[in-house]
Amino acid sequence: MDQLPNLGREQEMLDSMGLKSIDDLFSDIPEEVCRSDPLPLRGPQSEEEIWSDAQRLLSVNIDLDSRPSFLSAGLARNFVPTMVSMLATRGEFLTSYTPYQPEVSQGMLQAMWEFQTMVSELVGLPVSNVSMYDASTAAAEAITCAVRVKGRKATQKGVVYVSQFVPPHRLSVIENYTKGVGIELRTLEHNMDGRVNLEAAAAAAGSCAVYVEQPNAFGELDEGITQLKQIIGEKTALIVGVDAVSLGIVEAPGNYGADIVVGEGQPFGIGPTAGGPIYGLFACKKDYLRMMPGRIVGKTLDEDGKDAFTLTLSTREQHIRRHRATSNICSNETLIALMGAMHMALLGPEGLEKLALRVAATTEATKQAVTSISRVELVDPETPNFREFAVKLPGDAADAVAHMDAAGVLGGFPMGEWWDSMSSCLLIGCDERTSQSDIDALLVALSSWVEEVSA
Amino acid sequence: MSDIFQFNGAEGSGWSQPEPMIDGATDTIPSLLRRSILPRWPRASEPELVRHYTWLSHRNFGIDTGFYPLGSCTMKHNPRINERIIQLPGIDRIHPLQPEHQIQGLLSIFYEMQEMLEICAGMDQVTLQPVAGAQGEFAAIRCIQEYHSSNGESHRDKVIVPDSAHGTNPASAAMCGYEIVEIPSGEDGRLNLDALSAAVGDDTAAMMITNPSTLGIFEPEIVEAAEIVHAAGGQMYYDGANFNAILGKTDPGRMGFDAVHYNLHKTFSQPHGGGGPGSGPIGVKAHLADFLPSPLVDREAAEDDGSTGDGYRYFWRKPAKSIGKVQQWHGNAGAVVRAWAYYRRYGRELELMSEHAVLNANYLRHQIMNPDSDKHDSIHSMPLDGAPADVVKHEFTLSMMPVKETTGVTGKDVAKRLLDYGYMSPTLYFPMIVPECLMIEPTETESREVLDKFAEDFLTILSEDPEVVQTAPHNTDVRRVDEVLAARSLVLRKELDE
Repeated sequence: MDQLPNLGREQEMLDSMGLKSIDDLFSDIPEEVCRSDPLPLRGPQSEEEIWSDAQRLLSVNIDLDSRPSFLSAGLARNFVPTMVSMLATRGEFLTSYTPYQPEVSQGMLQAMWEFQTMVSELVGLPVSNVSMYDASTAAAEAITCAVRVKGRKATQKGVVYVSQFVPPHRLSVIENYTKGVGIELRTLEHNMDGRVNLEAAAAAAGSCAVYVEQPNAFGELDEGITQLKQIIGEKTALIVGVDAVSLGIVEAPGNYGADIVVGEGQPFGIGPTAGGPIYGLFACKKDYLRMMPGRIVGKTLDEDGKDAFTLTLSTREQHIRRHRATSNICSNETLIALMGAMHMALLGPEGLEKLALRVAATTEATKQAVTSISRVELVDPETPNFREFAVKLPGDAADAVAHMDAAGVLGGFPMGEWWDSMSSCLLIGCDERTSQSDIDALLVALSSWVEEVSA
Repeated sequence: MSDIFQFNGAEGSGWSQPEPMIDGATDTIPSLLRRSILPRWPRASEPELVRHYTWLSHRNFGIDTGFYPLGSCTMKHNPRINERIIQLPGIDRIHPLQPEHQIQGLLSIFYEMQEMLEICAGMDQVTLQPVAGAQGEFAAIRCIQEYHSSNGESHRDKVIVPDSAHGTNPASAAMCGYEIVEIPSGEDGRLNLDALSAAVGDDTAAMMITNPSTLGIFEPEIVEAAEIVHAAGGQMYYDGANFNAILGKTDPGRMGFDAVHYNLHKTFSQPHGGGGPGSGPIGVKAHLADFLPSPLVDREAAEDDGSTGDGYRYFWRKPAKSIGKVQQWHGNAGAVVRAWAYYRRYGRELELMSEHAVLNANYLRHQIMNPDSDKHDSIHSMPLDGAPADVVKHEFTLSMMPVKETTGVTGKDVAKRLLDYGYMSPTLYFPMIVPECLMIEPTETESREVLDKFAEDFLTILSEDPEVVQTAPHNTDVRRVDEVLAARSLVLRKELDE
């Protein structure tokens, strides 16, 4: 056992305490609850053996880079600069705890203050926290935060409108976070073309909040969302969920009236990692600051008048406020946010714009290619897309995905898994790494399926 | 002081990218939606950024830097093989929605972890979805809420927590809409059964408690407590933050708990990363299993050997009355894989880990509380045990009250002075029931020599000129930080020129 420096020296340590055996250390556990038999688990392994098993088991998985892949659904098959993981895994960052002792934690505190600034710039709002778990918990806690801020003056008490086109796995998280505390979720309807129904949106005025995503679950961009704040008014919070990369070319929601912006930070900093650890972005207007969840870093001075950073506004948090806290969040995703900050800083403003243009370009190129197949039609032909678009197929999309899979192409996500009524729809996701040969492979695989079902 | 926004080189100097595949892709985006002003991010090159972040890392203290006796956080060594493994494309480049047959290796690791955690805690079903301890608490309390509701008992609207509980316990229950009933600990710091009996009723939904308690002592009457709560129709919830103390020795199942969360970032060596990521799987007894977040991993015999060669096909399964999701994918898979690598190191010998964690805590407590006579004579005043106990478990608390009364030196002063000696401070002023509390958890990965030296330095601090201690730290990157100013005059981002 190579993790125990005192192995073999137990007895001398026990002797010095006047104890006879290790059992004496556990004599306070009542016999009726003691485990007498050994744990029925496998034997211990050496590092070498663990590595072999990890390699063997993980190589059974088919990774996204090993074949043409068009699966996104809110995660990015990105390229993370090599610098990022090499620096973020420096032990001083990797093995530190939440920086409760600012005098010896200035490094992470400053990095998070810089992160807050970059996120604030990205979304166009003055305040950002240090991260949420992911986009879904960021959205859910944005809603509970908005209800705390707007609840009293709302004419529709405890009511929040959520866009019809939020993916069900994210909506499920929102439902869990709002159910117990009595928040009523109502649906914000969309038109047949995928855009938010602005006339219906007027009904949300006077509720606590409206939550929409830009782009929506179909990857569609909707300029109507820029008018939502005017429609719902100052008494109702506008919460916008974003694709963070899209903000290199798409207007920052803070600039069209959003009160809170949330989103998946993952495209900056880390691979899809089977869904986690990733990190959620959370930024807001100052009115929400004292009701927001999560850690926040502030700049201050030390005793000698030197600039210094520290966690601040902790009186919102569970370790101080207990059941009156604004959230139970304690561990968050700081290390991944650090990786995100490194990635953002390497991109710079023009690098971000270029990254967004690259994603827009592969999305458009793939869309043109796929719609050249007869009997494959865009679900919403008039709407611009970013990263993803939905097509209607002449058959079951899950069947199409299985057919393409057999041909070595990960062809997208069958939308019937989200909505029964959309079983013939395929969600195709693109990213900066989508190549012409990927698109060609998708075209061949999907065409051959269409031919098969048309025959 | 320099910050990252001082880098402002030429456009695109930082990091090159290929050109967009086609031109004009944004033509269809309405002008109303086009961004006009780019975020004012730094323009920095790789060499500049590598130096910047290396400089920041030098100004940060981790376990790799030195002893980190932070009570209740289990800051054990993080084996480096973990980091190497999660860089493999079979985890880093995996999408959670890939078809099951493409991710059999990952699913088999998930299954092995579910099963291992079930065995270690005496639970019937584990899900790995919650991504932090607090989220595990929230998810499990939501399951309990739906369980009561399905029994026609949604009138149960109160959750009981001891006054020594972690802050996340009441916060998590409150997020489910529960009213919190806090019960006082007994004078000895232990759970007070009379107070518990008085608090339970037909409105009790659950009790949340950790054992060993936040004082580091095992609650001897835990079985009786569970009987009281169960007799009233409530459920018992185990906060697994202190699981490192008892693994293999006893388990929450035997103690009478119905639900438990694990902290893979404490007990199973997922690095804390400056505040996360964590991973907070939950385990439950059979009667709650149908309510768990969806999906969890199951398996069936495969026709061939199965892709992993173990004879099984693994698949996602949705529990019958699932509460739905608490994280939109499958939890922090990367943390689960790290924890798996850590578990494999010990296997059935996991109990050794707890034995050494408890050995180290008791040894350090003994070294601090029993100074040799030379040392003792120079000490102004000794701390008191936070709670009387012959043995503690993985951590212990000290009350610095006598020191404060004699010299004016507070627990916070001692904590700050420890920073000068190259240690991370212990947990400060928690649990709140111990006045001037320092909570110390050495973990199993510290050598006897480190513990001896720490005890010696700790006692030296108690004999130092109080003025020196009260003005500490002296040798750190910055001196004591003005937290009041930070909260009063909020500077939460860099102000940038237009």
